[in-house]
Amino acid sequence: MEERLYDLIFIVRPATPEDEIKKVVSSVEHACTEKGGKIEKAEHWGTRKLAYKVAKHREGMYYYHQIRTNHGELITELERRLRVQDSVIKYMTIRLDEDLKRQKKLTDKREKRAARRPRRPAATPAPAAPVAAAPAPEQQAAS
Amino acid sequence: MAEEQKQGQTAPAAAPRAEGAPSGAPSGGHGGGHSGHGGQGGHSGPPRREGGREGGPRREGGPGGGPGGPRRGKRQYFRKKKVCKFCVEKMDLIDYKRADILSQFVQERGKILPRRMTGVCARHQRWLGVAIKRARNIALLPFAGSAAGSTAPKAVEAPKS
Repeated sequence: MEERLYDLIFIVRPATPEDEIKKVVSSVEHACTEKGGKIEKAEHWGTRKLAYKVAKHREGMYYYHQIRTNHGELITELERRLRVQDSVIKYMTIRLDEDLKRQKKLTDKREKRAARRPRRPAATPAPAAPVAAAPAPEQQAAS
Repeated sequence: MAEEQKQGQTAPAAAPRAEGAPSGAPSGGHGGGHSGHGGQGGHSGPPRREGGREGGPRREGGPGGGPGGPRRGKRQYFRKKKVCKFCVEKMDLIDYKRADILSQFVQERGKILPRRMTGVCARHQRWLGVAIKRARNIALLPFAGSAAGSTAPKAVEAPKS
């Protein structure tokens, strides 16, 4: 099976002690290495306002990981671990590779097209029209 | 024509004045309603319009011509040629994590704005919908109606008064 890329975001309660957060993060990392996944990116977005209340909190600390793996069970495992953590109030995993593949295809296509047919110089006197159109209605509006 | 446009755009900001003036009320109020939505979504009305006018002929069969056709209505409105923002910026992927971009395409209460208001092309609107829904899932954007939680009460009541 080809490798897949996932986004994993989880939100931690704002008032969680530092070591608790570390535990959660390391648990994620540990699960990844154990199940043959690779963490491509790990970001901490800091405390952000939530768009709606989650578990009676208006704010939450966002943690973001990008994981590459070819074992789907890793995601199940990660979600299970996050679910049992009390400090994690929300989590989401999203499969990214298909979107990225589509993006790459489109970008390649665009580049190919641009290479094949260079842009012709745009020498149309476009700006003249709006300027000319402006004065007449102005009087109308003023009266 | 252009002046009318401007009037329409400034109307939401100066709403009380437009309501007070008896002559300007019917047309100005209507126009304000229309472009008020657009402004909410994109808040870059004037530049986009001009970009559309100038960029129109230059683009060769681009996917996002946008529904810039004639508007329905009694008087002929300004027909603003809207151009898909994502096509202009050549975005092939709409990232659900960019709540700042996505929030331009939802109403205050979190509803996804229709294409006819934002001018987004069909393909990008499809991706945009997915991205917005993902963002809602992880509390980056509100679900429709539940914006009342943190900030909305102020924001919603302000225009009414």
